[in-house]
Amino acid sequence: MQIEVERQIGENRRELVLNMGPQHPSTHGVLRVVLTLEGETIVATDPIIGYLHRGVEKIGENRRYSQFTPWTDRTDYVAAPLNNLGYILAVEKLCGIAAPERAQYWRVIMAELSRIASHLVWLGTHALDIGALSMSLYCFREREDILDIFERFCGARLTTNMMEIGGFSREIPEGLTDMVEAFLKKFPAHQQEYSDLLTQNPIWIARTRGVGIIEPEAAISYGLTGACLRGSGINYDIRKAQPYLVYDRLDFEVPIGTRGDVYDRYLVRMEEMRQALRIIRQCLDQMPTDGPLMLNESNYVIPPHATVLRTAEDMQRHFVWVIKGFEAPKGEVYMAIEHSKGELGYYIYSDGTNTPYRMRLRTPDFVNLQVLPYMAQGAMLADVVALIGTIDIVLGSVDR
Amino acid sequence: MSQNPAPDAGTPPDAQETTQLPALDTQVAAELAPVIEPATDQTGVQEINPVWVYSGYWGPLDEAQHPAIIGLRAQFGDAIEEVTFFRDEVTVRVRTEQLAEICTFLRDTPDLKYQMVSDLTAVDMLNLRSEPRFDVVVTLYSIPRRWRLRLKAGVREDQPCPTLTTVYAAAGWLERECYDMFGIVFAGHPDLRRMLLAEDWDEGHPLRKDYPMRGYKQYVQPGFAGAAPRIRETPREGA
Repeated sequence: MQIEVERQIGENRRELVLNMGPQHPSTHGVLRVVLTLEGETIVATDPIIGYLHRGVEKIGENRRYSQFTPWTDRTDYVAAPLNNLGYILAVEKLCGIAAPERAQYWRVIMAELSRIASHLVWLGTHALDIGALSMSLYCFREREDILDIFERFCGARLTTNMMEIGGFSREIPEGLTDMVEAFLKKFPAHQQEYSDLLTQNPIWIARTRGVGIIEPEAAISYGLTGACLRGSGINYDIRKAQPYLVYDRLDFEVPIGTRGDVYDRYLVRMEEMRQALRIIRQCLDQMPTDGPLMLNESNYVIPPHATVLRTAEDMQRHFVWVIKGFEAPKGEVYMAIEHSKGELGYYIYSDGTNTPYRMRLRTPDFVNLQVLPYMAQGAMLADVVALIGTIDIVLGSVDR
Repeated sequence: MSQNPAPDAGTPPDAQETTQLPALDTQVAAELAPVIEPATDQTGVQEINPVWVYSGYWGPLDEAQHPAIIGLRAQFGDAIEEVTFFRDEVTVRVRTEQLAEICTFLRDTPDLKYQMVSDLTAVDMLNLRSEPRFDVVVTLYSIPRRWRLRLKAGVREDQPCPTLTTVYAAAGWLERECYDMFGIVFAGHPDLRRMLLAEDWDEGHPLRKDYPMRGYKQYVQPGFAGAAPRIRETPREGA
């Protein structure tokens, strides 16, 4: 692209084009933003994405259903269990199956822990961009505990590949619920620390309040979801609006902002972390202590490991499931879950074979990032880092 | 059973004798009997117990009861070509030329208010039917009703699709991505550029079904003189 670097637009006025990124530390990856400035005021913004494009949708159309789950980890890599969950729920809906109750509770626990971990990364990097360096150290310290829980459960910390079609094929390790309990016990005090550092901090308020205001009508028209939409005062949380798993049995609140600025979105996400703790607490209390974790079903679900080693039928079934995959019913489904960043939707068009005919990932941050030019119009140059941070993007998820 | 004679009357005397053998001690019988586990435990095959439950998140699965379909049929008539249901999902196939008007109607009608476009994408139907080649798929969401609705519009390869940017601001990037990946031109889009691929990408549109998995060009590894060996060779389009 040919960029005119400087342009005279009036007698004493001139525009300057500034290229921010793709290697800029505060763009959270490889986002490039071409800014047109007049003095320090932003006239136009053009986000350029795609530096991390790997063709995940094309890959999904060339893989069997069970083979695609690890790819979902790599789209939004700071909240991998949530990505797994969205994909698995879409496949389960397509096949017309559902996981056992105990697995559903455990999925909710893992998803909410993942939400907290994702919000912690957001809080740490967002505050770091604006200048609160120490926040990132504290946030990553607590995120470590969550990653330890993931590691204990599935062996991986970042790209977990945790959820499986039909539930979980391995039992919950002994002592893991105690780790979750310990996290629940200690995290509120830590979150109070973050809150003490930022919520009343005059510098933080000066940098965030009144910056990047999104009007409610614009938020809806831009298709924003997650904290970006709720910060503008629109009550849309898929866990409440279209509950999936066991969310309709749990008691939690959806925080709503009033002004729609960066500060409100900060408050909304902070409150979401507290509500996530409530959800996990209730799940641990309500979860059945025993019962199957994996659906016992012969077409779409991998057979139990124990019987694969004992019986010929299950060994054959396991072989076929792994080598040939299963043939999903013909049809199309769109399954949306409330990701930490907004609405994560998987659209699968199945033609009845063992690979999806069309695999579409509707990632929340791709749609949310579109609002950046709207927010940045007339803002100051120094606010751009705050505006990018407040959308909460992960470039792996934006570029797919 | 009625045709079979009663066991006492018709059975030959030999058989009657065998039944009169002294009964085994029940304790011993239990030990001698072969242990047969229930078949379900061995194969792991049981009836599908927890099935996916109908949610109702897309409105009633009945054309005569779904207010959006009633409204669309009353307003647009022939432009509503087909209504299909799968699981709980409602898909309305509409005439491509009137896609924008239909979306405007769905957005502005007070008791529908499909104000939000959840997703806009396309499906390349190359392997499934002859014409039209693409389906543009629009998933709408209504915040007050908490319902989704899917609109589909068939687009031929040489035919532009009307843009939805005049209705939903979110359509801007979603249509750009759709153009980038499928080559569908959205007539009236203010800024129809490549979205995810490079601006000078000259290898076509990768999500088309005839686009090979590894692209058309030879891949030259940096630091190597020749092209990397390709595992899967696919003929170039038109070759």
